Amino acid sequence: MYGGDEVSAIVVDLGSHTCKAGYAGEDAPKAVFPSVVGSIDQMEVDDPDNSDKNSVSADSKPKGKHKFYVGSQDLGFRRDHMEVLSPIKDGIVVDWDMVESIWDHALRKCLLIDPKEHPMLLAESCSNTQHHREKAAEIMFEKYQVPALFLAKNAVLTSFASGRATSLVVDSGGGSTTVAPVHDGYVIQKAVSTSPIGGELLTDCLLKSLEQKGIAIKPRYAFKRKEIRPGEFQTVDLDFPNTTESYKLYSQRVIASDIKECVCRAPDTPYDETSYSNIPMTPYELPDGQTIEIGADRFKIPDVLFNPSLVQTIPGMESSLETASTIRGLPQMVIDSINKCDVDIRRELYSSILLAGGTSSMQQLKERLEKDLLEESPQSARVKVLASGNATERRFSVWIGGSILASLGSFQQMWFSKSEYEEHGASYIQRKCP
Amino acid sequence: MEPTVIDAGSKILKCGYTAAEDGPTVIPTLMKPVPEDESSADASLFENVTVEPVVRGFVRDWEAMEDLLEHALYSGLGWEIGNEGNILFTEPLATPKAVREQLVQMMFENFNISGFYASEQAVLSLYAVGRISGCTVDIGHGKMDIASVIEGAVHHISSRRFEVGGLDLTNLFAKELGKSNPLVNISMSDVEKLKEQYACCAEDIGAYERVQQSCPEEQHTLPDGQVIKIGREKYTVGEALFQPSILGLEAHGIVEQLVGCISTVPTENHRQLLENTVLCGGTASMTGFEGRFQKEASLCSSAIRPSLVKPPEYMPDNLLNYSAWVGGAILAKVVFPQNQHVTKADYDETGPSIVHRKCF
Repeated sequence: MYGGDEVSAIVVDLGSHTCKAGYAGEDAPKAVFPSVVGSIDQMEVDDPDNSDKNSVSADSKPKGKHKFYVGSQDLGFRRDHMEVLSPIKDGIVVDWDMVESIWDHALRKCLLIDPKEHPMLLAESCSNTQHHREKAAEIMFEKYQVPALFLAKNAVLTSFASGRATSLVVDSGGGSTTVAPVHDGYVIQKAVSTSPIGGELLTDCLLKSLEQKGIAIKPRYAFKRKEIRPGEFQTVDLDFPNTTESYKLYSQRVIASDIKECVCRAPDTPYDETSYSNIPMTPYELPDGQTIEIGADRFKIPDVLFNPSLVQTIPGMESSLETASTIRGLPQMVIDSINKCDVDIRRELYSSILLAGGTSSMQQLKERLEKDLLEESPQSARVKVLASGNATERRFSVWIGGSILASLGSFQQMWFSKSEYEEHGASYIQRKCP
Repeated sequence: MEPTVIDAGSKILKCGYTAAEDGPTVIPTLMKPVPEDESSADASLFENVTVEPVVRGFVRDWEAMEDLLEHALYSGLGWEIGNEGNILFTEPLATPKAVREQLVQMMFENFNISGFYASEQAVLSLYAVGRISGCTVDIGHGKMDIASVIEGAVHHISSRRFEVGGLDLTNLFAKELGKSNPLVNISMSDVEKLKEQYACCAEDIGAYERVQQSCPEEQHTLPDGQVIKIGREKYTVGEALFQPSILGLEAHGIVEQLVGCISTVPTENHRQLLENTVLCGGTASMTGFEGRFQKEASLCSSAIRPSLVKPPEYMPDNLLNYSAWVGGAILAKVVFPQNQHVTKADYDETGPSIVHRKCF
């Protein structure tokens, strides 16, 4: 239907932490930005300011009562009364207006394309409901007038990115971790399991842990450096009383996640307080010039993935996981998932366990997972955990899989086209995109 | 025949052969439509209409662009019809695929060139100063690009494009002059020249605030005889790059944006990018800009402090204005002899989409 060469499809992967968008056929997405929006409630601001804002920023749309600011540039600028909201909870979209503004930003501002001319491939989570798929199809066809659409499951795309049709995908992203077996390009729905432990939870743990030690992370907007004498600098605190709590937390999280990415490593053995109490501290320089030292937390935080009950030991985080006792660690989730599949494919699944997602690019995670799985899996199984060596590839493996899929010649007849949508309606998507 | 390099900017088009010793030929990209027939009624309609083929860095008006290139290549550089050679184009950041394809199509079909190559301006500016990795801050007339380049490839995820440039600064200057000289009538092109002559950056934010209080005024005589006074406005124009709130934009200053971009790149590459920062583009050659930039940069925490790179001694002094063109000239000497470009045969066989495969 559409020649793979002439018309370039667009691949959009809206995750719980970042949104990735770009042209199919390329090896990395061109647009990567946080999938949260800054929202200013119009009711609180006086009318004269309104028209000023309207003419100033091109990609913030007044939608009735809210104005949205999308993208790391706009979010990085502190505004009064700006709340930071996420449209995705537990992997599922809850606010479609925000999602529309995110898509607008990605397509019109970052990629500079006209959606009417490009088929769109959207990545969706394995537990996406029929209702959500229809709503996504509706928005895409009615609002953006795309010529063709396809919705693919994250796990399937990761599997394609590594060149396998059958594998067990462990996708550890920002908001959650999903373990899903894929067989011949289809997800085995009954064996999919998710856990709310993701990168964002680990960042929060780190933040609370540092706060408890008395280290306050100052958001970037809250200080300014001045040169008093040549070579000597002084940090001056700035106070902005109208900044919302959510924005302050968002800014602190950005800094904490950078600390986590630089410093944290998965420990080789399960974490316990006594053995790690004498660990040498690693220094880290905060943006305001303060240098902090991080010791045992380097290993404790990543171990939450393997042992969720550790969250209880971090003061301030006890209430975060309501059913902490029922949440299992990563190796346990993998084994439970494989056991729910047919006996015949279990061997193949054990030998092709793929790691994907931002959190999976943590150092030593692959080795630790392999070790834990070897201990707990049946004797006859040959356990092999595969992860691309390049951290960028792991982070974007879902997007890369989509890029590969959308540029395949044999895929071109599988698109759900606009004419089919007009003829059969949105519910036809269930048949076209299994 | 030597390959030709073209850098189409929003204000000036730089073109020339790669062997040109003294830099590119410079042609303004402002055009005026001429009526087909010489009737006087039409002529008056077109008096004040100007056509800009390149807006904010991207080609918007393809017919005008074609006419401009015809003039540049055939009259300016002395091309002969039937003997067109190889051509290298520079592109701004985030050029949509469709725009690239249209350019290739126009060049092969309307101009009948024998070879084509396109490259991003950020990469070329780094080649001009002798580096393959680094950070470029390219402040042009219509847009500003902050790009990080690693080993010759632009890292798109961390690069940013702003629709702010010399044009907005000119408008700001005109507004400020209008406020302090209400009786004088100045045209935009005069304001443009005044801006290039007078605009400067204060040494640091303290100096800027002092200037706002009191500043010596200079008198300038315009070509038509009117006299205007220029005082603190010239510092306002320079300050707008470091405090975009002066332009009415809700964004951080240039140094913060650069630091923000670099933080998104994986940590192992930070050192490379920070030590090789290049400021290029027409607007970046404003008096005092470099000094102010370095001052602001030293305020950043030492882990993420950008430092500017010095152009090699064998390069001409005004290299940074035309760095993208010079880089293009360097690249053209490598790409065309090694046949890595898109040839007429390739184009005839595959069509415009070949450009995405052959040119990075």
